[in-house]
Amino acid sequence: MSPVLFWLFTLLMLGFATSVVVNRNPVASALSLVGAFLALAALFVGLDAYFIAVIQVLVYAGAVMVLFLFIIMLLDLKAEQRRRFNIVTLLGGSIVAAGFIAELTALLSKFQLGKRGFPTLPGAKPVDDVYQVGMTLFTTHNLPLQVTGVLILVATIGVIILSRRELK
Amino acid sequence: MPAPLSPITLEIIVLLLGIFLLLSESFSKSGDKSWMARFSIFALAVTFAWSFFTTGDAGVDLASSFYSADPSALFYKRIALLSTIFVLVMSLDYLPTLRQFIPGSTVGAGEGEFIALPVFTCAGLMFMASAVDLLLVFVSLELVTISFYILVAYMRRQSTSLEAGVKYLILGALSTGFLVYGITWIFGVTGETNLIRIAQVLPAQLAPGGRLAGSESGLLFGLCLFIAACGFKVAAAPFQFWVPDVYQGAPTPVTAFLSVGSKAAGFIVLMRVLEPFLSQASIAAKLLPILGILAAASLIYGNLAAMVQDNLKRLLAYSSIGHAGYLLLALACVAPTDSSFGHSGVTISFYLAGYMIMTLLSFTILIVVAKHSKGDDISHFNGLSKRSPFLAFAMLVAMMSLAGVPLTVGFYGKFLVFASAVQQQQFLLVGISLITVAAGFYYYLRVVGAMYWKDSSDEAPIRVSLLTKFSIALLVFGVVYLGIFPQPILNMLSSAW
Repeated sequence: MSPVLFWLFTLLMLGFATSVVVNRNPVASALSLVGAFLALAALFVGLDAYFIAVIQVLVYAGAVMVLFLFIIMLLDLKAEQRRRFNIVTLLGGSIVAAGFIAELTALLSKFQLGKRGFPTLPGAKPVDDVYQVGMTLFTTHNLPLQVTGVLILVATIGVIILSRRELK
Repeated sequence: MPAPLSPITLEIIVLLLGIFLLLSESFSKSGDKSWMARFSIFALAVTFAWSFFTTGDAGVDLASSFYSADPSALFYKRIALLSTIFVLVMSLDYLPTLRQFIPGSTVGAGEGEFIALPVFTCAGLMFMASAVDLLLVFVSLELVTISFYILVAYMRRQSTSLEAGVKYLILGALSTGFLVYGITWIFGVTGETNLIRIAQVLPAQLAPGGRLAGSESGLLFGLCLFIAACGFKVAAAPFQFWVPDVYQGAPTPVTAFLSVGSKAAGFIVLMRVLEPFLSQASIAAKLLPILGILAAASLIYGNLAAMVQDNLKRLLAYSSIGHAGYLLLALACVAPTDSSFGHSGVTISFYLAGYMIMTLLSFTILIVVAKHSKGDDISHFNGLSKRSPFLAFAMLVAMMSLAGVPLTVGFYGKFLVFASAVQQQQFLLVGISLITVAAGFYYYLRVVGAMYWKDSSDEAPIRVSLLTKFSIALLVFGVVYLGIFPQPILNMLSSAW
């Protein structure tokens, strides 16, 4: 992947992600999130991970975001009021964030393993992404997949319990 | 391995029970749902008994699997099952209170799920106890956390419960972020997600000229993120900000489950994940001080802040932070040369088992008393010895054990922790924890004082249902019995580690 494209999409993604948090209008936030997802998908394409890129667009940018927007429109959310931040919270939060970034920068500058290039894959044959992912999920990684199924069931129950106007 | 007795059947039974509860809830007529709790208690008790007849994982190649059923995993599965059983007993007493705060159009609406969700949580805890792969660790941890999000916010009509739910959700999501990022780093530097494989390849990778030579910091970074995420789950300082509000706002049985289940699961995961890394001296030398600092911070913060609390749920929340401190202290005293956790594993597991018994005991009593006194402040316990000598005595035992009075399980747990700390010559940490134990005596005995030396305006005797009475008696017996004869459990544990 060309470094120019990498930096372009990374900056786009970070910019959109920031705007999700900073925007006071929920619709604008949601749309920025779509932008961030698309830029992330572009990064996946750059890594030759086409399957994940497509799933990223279809599932996140497509299905999940459309749902988000529906909910926002249906609830008729107004732009959030500007809040005044507690100075202590703000200070504490920025110290933690700054410390984290500083640590990460210091770490990455001397992290030898990260300076290696990608190893060349044995055989020049293109790998069938979908087939491989499917095989992994349903053969070797089946147990975590099943537990994920239970997790989604529990989440579904939660949505109904917490959002239905009157329980029956 | 005979298939029907494979240990994973335990999880399958629990999951099937959960699905059965959901289905029967949706197909049964509306009305009282307490039969569901009774049925689940029975089914989980049978599963608990079953767990003694399962085989271990002999013949399974753990390095390419996700699930291990070694004796330590089985021990934690039993802790999960037992705590779920007692939480369901509490839920039975709590259903009338719960009913007031959920918007139901019919009698019993929304109560079935309150019983089914802990069962799913229990399955998640059991998977977590067995997880030897970071992927399964993550997925089962999320199963547990997501069901806790729902349970904490369950009483939708009560603003404190909703507030607790939102706080827990936001901080929980943050900790999940840390967890995933940490796992990414660990996977990135070692190239493996299976913990057994990591233990196999790590020595070669760390050796001079190996893959990780000079890049150790990446591994440490990942591990620190992981410890931070587990710190959230076990309520250790400085990741404890959510604890008091969430514990106070959540429905009381959920608070009990949160303080026992979440803590036990957090520690088994912490031990399993750190084990391969702590056996490497160069990494252990850097990780153990971090754990020591977390332990000291939790001990000091939890125990000192608990002294000024007037609400018993909040007091128990701070005491839960304090107990996380003792457990972390045991973890920070792993002998750096041990190839496995050895003595510390036994200490932590014994402490957790004891903590489970005494915490469940105090929450069970709290629910009964709160139902009759209409509040869960310490002042609501005033004169309990006259209203119900049985409850007052049980609470006395629970508080003594939490404080660490000899002849209770709490004392023996603390004794083991101090013994391993002295053995590792961590005298500073021992000094700090001795001071915090003294602080603990003060605030736990305040509750005892309220029960025995203060008069209550309400003299009406408190009636306790038979099942609750039985479970309280069982827990009191457990506290005293394990305080006097800890050997059976210790023997079981030392064969596990």
